[in-house]
Amino acid sequence: MSTPARSTVSDLTDTAPLPVIGEDRAARPGPLQRLRDVWAYRELLANLTRKELKVKYKDSILGFAWSLLNPILYLVVFWVVFQIILGAGIPNFAIFFLAGLLPWNLFSISLGSGTTSITGNASLVTRVWFPREVLVFAPIGANLVHFFLQSLVLAGALLLFRLAPSAEYSTLLPFALFTLLLFLGALALVFAAVNVYLRDTQHLLELLLLAWFWMTPIVYPFRTVADRLGSWSWLFLANPMTPIVLTFQRAIYNQVDTGGGAATGGKAINVGTGILPDASVLWYFRNLAIVAAASVVLLGIALWLFGRLEGDFAEEI
Amino acid sequence: MTPAIEIESVTKRFRLYHEKAPSLKERVIKFGRLPHEDFWALRDVSLAVNAGESLGLLGHNGSGKSTLLKCAAGILRPTSGRITVRGRVAALLELGAGFHPDLTGRENVYLNGSILGFTRSDIDRIFDDIVAFAEIGPFIDNQVKHYSSGMFARLAFAVAVNVEPEILLVDEVLAVGDESFQRKCLARIEDFRKEGRTILLVTHAADLVRRISLPSANRPTPSPRSARPSSSGVWRCPTRRSRARSGTRRTRSGSAPCASRPPNHAEVSSGPVIT
Repeated sequence: MSTPARSTVSDLTDTAPLPVIGEDRAARPGPLQRLRDVWAYRELLANLTRKELKVKYKDSILGFAWSLLNPILYLVVFWVVFQIILGAGIPNFAIFFLAGLLPWNLFSISLGSGTTSITGNASLVTRVWFPREVLVFAPIGANLVHFFLQSLVLAGALLLFRLAPSAEYSTLLPFALFTLLLFLGALALVFAAVNVYLRDTQHLLELLLLAWFWMTPIVYPFRTVADRLGSWSWLFLANPMTPIVLTFQRAIYNQVDTGGGAATGGKAINVGTGILPDASVLWYFRNLAIVAAASVVLLGIALWLFGRLEGDFAEEI
Repeated sequence: MTPAIEIESVTKRFRLYHEKAPSLKERVIKFGRLPHEDFWALRDVSLAVNAGESLGLLGHNGSGKSTLLKCAAGILRPTSGRITVRGRVAALLELGAGFHPDLTGRENVYLNGSILGFTRSDIDRIFDDIVAFAEIGPFIDNQVKHYSSGMFARLAFAVAVNVEPEILLVDEVLAVGDESFQRKCLARIEDFRKEGRTILLVTHAADLVRRISLPSANRPTPSPRSARPSSSGVWRCPTRRSRARSGTRRTRSGSAPCASRPPNHAEVSSGPVIT
């Protein structure tokens, strides 16, 4: 054997911590320990994310350009349909739409692929041990990369249309994205675990996401519905995706009604129909904070449930 | 000395569901409970493998060897009992489990390494060893889907044995590659044993166990830290019939291999060491 000198066990035990698998099977690791396990395997998470990206555009000449073409096409189509053909309604509708669509796509596509991540990786789940959560989080990571790529298109469109996003409200964007990831991660864990036992979940999710999309103010502006709901508009905000999407729209689209632009603060001659809530940064922040807090609780429950169901993944899959 | 692998009265029950899918009505009536039969793959199994020991599991098809290994690897959760594993584990349950056909050999080595819990810099260090061991040469940058099955198996095995786990769980995967490569695999496992790593091996072939797990007369001391020299032996999984009948607790304490050996052990272990 012509291998160089190899370290012995005693060397290894000095440096590497000794993970103990299943010290006590009755007491399953709690949510915090599960997160620590995922953190310990962050390199695997990065590698699996990279794998998803590589495999998706492998052997295609344009590669990542495909990620950009999708929002570009949306921009063109919506610009033609709403600005030229219909010629009415919300100014720069394509920008408004894309500002909400990008975070929604991050949510819905990740949730869809996260749900099938355990069942789709059966060969890994039945043969190797590692924190299973990593499998669920990897497609979220890959879609996050797509999200940033597609945001470039949106940024380009803003330049092209000479629209300025709100500097003030843009400070909320990192928090909005963080909240979205928190909520998405928790939900994906639940769906992925349940899908192992009930494959109906993935089909149900498709319908659920369709309904959810139309319950979220992406195609239509928030105030069209909220103004009619009156004092019940909080019900609309109870959809966790609403405050997230609203923050993106407020920061990027930056226009609260069809009359005057919020950026210029100009008093519109004819007060237009409302688009986004004309509220302070604090109001947007408060809504996000509620969703974030609820997501933390949900994540705890999701990790607990995932841990309960995980034990039999290898045989149920 | 604390055992590296400690299995305490582990029981594993599988549920065998009947093939016919029940109607929704049936499910509702039975509150979602489906008719099933219990199958006890393991019943009250106890054994311990000390650090630096090699242990072979022998048994017929369906006697629960692989189930035990999967429980030790953390893939299956035992129905009851405790399993404690101290050390970094590499489980060779099936070769190339984490390999993606569309990625190149190089990318797969890094991916597979991280699945086993190793960092990029760990793999960087041993990457050349892996390629050399797999005898794969320039093909390392080709997509794995273009590999021959032998190349695939060699690369997968090379990753698993070069990541230097403290504990190696092997499930009848040594029959890969041509004869010279098989010899090389066996030699590597023998090296593992000499370096004082812990091995739990499932096999059908008793002679394989003899070759791999039994110490030679001038047995090297595995590592200065371990108080005892490495010992090894064969632990036979009870056959399905005998388990169903007795259900008794079978213990094999690795620290006293001679005293508690199952009756079948002697005939296997008396042979010479062929490596």
